[in-house]
Amino acid sequence: MEAFQHLLTGFGHALSLEYLAYAFVGCTLGTLVGVLPGLGPAAGTAILIPLTFKLDPTGAIIMLAAIYYGAMYGGTITSVLINVPGEAASVITCIDGHAMAKQGRGGTALGIAAIGSFIGGIVATIALVVVAPPLARLGLLFGPPEFFALMVLGLSLVTGLAGRSLLAALLMTIIGLVLAMIGIDPVRGAPRFTFGVPELYDGVGFIPVVMGLFGISEILLMAESPAREVIKTKLTGLLPSREEWRSSLRAIWRGTGIGFALGLIPGIGSIIPTFMAYIAEKRLSKTPERFGQGAIEGVAAPETANNAYANAALIPFFTLGIPSSPTIAVLMGAFIINGLTPGPFLFQERPDLVWTVIASLFIGNVILLILNLPLVGLWARLLHIPYQYLCTGVLLFCVLGAYSLQQSVFDVWLMIVFGVIGYFFRKLDLPLAPLVLGLILGPFIEKSMRTSLEMSGGDFSIFATRPLCVTLLVAAVVVLAAAALRLVPARVREAESV
Amino acid sequence: MKSASRLIVGMFALIAAAPAFAGKHDFPNKPLRMMIAFAAGGSTDIGARIVASIAEKDFKQPIVVVNRGGAGGQVGWTELSRQRADGYSIGFINLPATNTVVLDPERKAIFKIEDFVPIINQVLDPGVVYVRADSPYKTMKDLIEAARKSPNTIRTATTGILSDDHLAILMVEESAPGSAFRIVHLAGGADQQRELLAGNIDVAFDNVGGWTPRVRAKEFRALAVLDPQRSKFLPDVPTMRELGYPKVVSNSTRGIAGPKGIPAPVVKHLETVFKKAMESPEHLEKLEAAGLTVRIMVGEEYAKYYRETHEKARHYTEWAKKRPHR
Repeated sequence: MEAFQHLLTGFGHALSLEYLAYAFVGCTLGTLVGVLPGLGPAAGTAILIPLTFKLDPTGAIIMLAAIYYGAMYGGTITSVLINVPGEAASVITCIDGHAMAKQGRGGTALGIAAIGSFIGGIVATIALVVVAPPLARLGLLFGPPEFFALMVLGLSLVTGLAGRSLLAALLMTIIGLVLAMIGIDPVRGAPRFTFGVPELYDGVGFIPVVMGLFGISEILLMAESPAREVIKTKLTGLLPSREEWRSSLRAIWRGTGIGFALGLIPGIGSIIPTFMAYIAEKRLSKTPERFGQGAIEGVAAPETANNAYANAALIPFFTLGIPSSPTIAVLMGAFIINGLTPGPFLFQERPDLVWTVIASLFIGNVILLILNLPLVGLWARLLHIPYQYLCTGVLLFCVLGAYSLQQSVFDVWLMIVFGVIGYFFRKLDLPLAPLVLGLILGPFIEKSMRTSLEMSGGDFSIFATRPLCVTLLVAAVVVLAAAALRLVPARVREAESV
Repeated sequence: MKSASRLIVGMFALIAAAPAFAGKHDFPNKPLRMMIAFAAGGSTDIGARIVASIAEKDFKQPIVVVNRGGAGGQVGWTELSRQRADGYSIGFINLPATNTVVLDPERKAIFKIEDFVPIINQVLDPGVVYVRADSPYKTMKDLIEAARKSPNTIRTATTGILSDDHLAILMVEESAPGSAFRIVHLAGGADQQRELLAGNIDVAFDNVGGWTPRVRAKEFRALAVLDPQRSKFLPDVPTMRELGYPKVVSNSTRGIAGPKGIPAPVVKHLETVFKKAMESPEHLEKLEAAGLTVRIMVGEEYAKYYRETHEKARHYTEWAKKRPHR
């Protein structure tokens, strides 16, 4: 019950006018990021980090977290109304959501998505409150060798599950790890692969890279795609009928369970839970033929799973410091910029911050429900903004954001270069997530491995004699072997490459 | 879009703050830029922002604090050394870290130690040796004896390669012949505290700052202070000099410097204003609250300290480079 007390204190802080305002701004921006096609949560969060520089760390994290889960809500609107996912996790929602919109039931689809997202988000956050403190205590079991093994496992999960081809995913992971080598050697202090460029001494900044890979490349892709037709559905009747309620409610609970469980596994990504939830509903349904023709469960389940996943994925992040998706990795960058290291020690050292942020997750979910139910028509109108203005606006924001990271033009170039690279990678159907995770986790993997070796006096057996470490490393090998032997269902892998 | 316009305004403000020509008699007639080679929120940054907020009232010009962190300070110092020497661009140097970056050939630093003119020192954070409260090493003597009896087994953490704490371990080994520690380079005090608690390291060499609350809470024990005098934050902890090792003196100092070639009257003006600011009760109170020990050194005194620290750091850096890794 200690957690409950902490949470109440957290609510006390989070309900202050200042933090409420940050949560509100974050939710609004997040929804915006979700609504605008192309600008996904990873790029959106990265672009908006500079906005939080002036805030205190708690305010900054509240706002960025709100952008993160807000984007998960917003993506639905685009999926339903123009049959294009606002962000990747809403891909599956297009199928039945758009069908419903064509039948004039777009309002209901959006309504049930918002309600399901709310329930999924709240349940996962309650679980976070219950599970996090004991997990954080377990964190002390993680010394450098265990952290090394955990990061390797996370990376192998991302690699094993990403994309159609394991080879392509491995290639991208290695590119990420090689990029992570650039800069000052974390132990010996010697510059590596910097070619005398002082800006590279600190390594390739992953925020400009993420902005380029996900943001700029998307703008390039948008520029070559034709304009899309927005369905002018009457957005009335947001609340489902009684019968629709009955079928949706089960879907919502199942979606919550699936999303939450998968959120605990680092590296799953936000798309798999939505696919699993959709498939589960279709299999369990007595009338599977309705799916694809506007079945409300086909919207309720994946949208719920999506938000349950997003909130549950914060559990390994808060308790162990593992970023399980590129977006959370960007969030991790925001923590580091604010001088905070996510992980078990954060609960001990900054309980005020952690619990205020967790309380704000509850508040944010309420704010999002309000933003999305009555105001959904307003968001839908945004879709009428012509692409050329949208692209230019986003581009301007990216350039300003990259520059303001550390007032360096170099970062702007870095972003542009990776934007072009990302464009070609996407054309070649190469998954970007392993590259980003490799770049972000690379320094941690290297540092913890070398610290472990310093601890053992150079003896590699330290990785084989600590039980937890061995278990994690074996799990990593099993994941890669399973992927190599194609034991992971092809459907799942295909979904992840979207 | 409001935020975007704010960003643009901010950009223009920065451009306006960039150094132009400095008049001789009317210094300063535009904002000063103070560069910190570490991220915002670190202890260098905290101290710098406090003194900047006080001194800017006297300068009658704002002081823009710019954080250029990275590579253990090397990125920020490289940039500071290349600024125009007009007194408008100043920054913090951290001794002996600034020295070891120059001294370690592997770092390939493109600035030299003569590229900076030291102006005034603000903080001296003495080195301290910490263990977990239930550690078998009750005193520094226990630790040194154990390091002699079974050399290269006691896992001893620094806060980074060639940090003042790394050099301090070498000083102990030098003053207590036969002792040898197994050196583990961690990223900073927070990491050291975690690994100490988890039992992954046995000893941590760090400074006073950041540890005092948890020493008072009896989670950790301080074995010795590596300064000629005891620390007011740890009044019960003996100094190495008291324990019979007068040569083991290690600390981290933070002070203001500029690129070489700043006109003498401008340096004088900077010294005067910053000295007044650092001696003010507001400054002393705020730094005490932040757990930082103020030690003001101005002009020739600081310049001498800068040179001496460099020679001392040279000795231990060369040794660190030759010492086998375990």
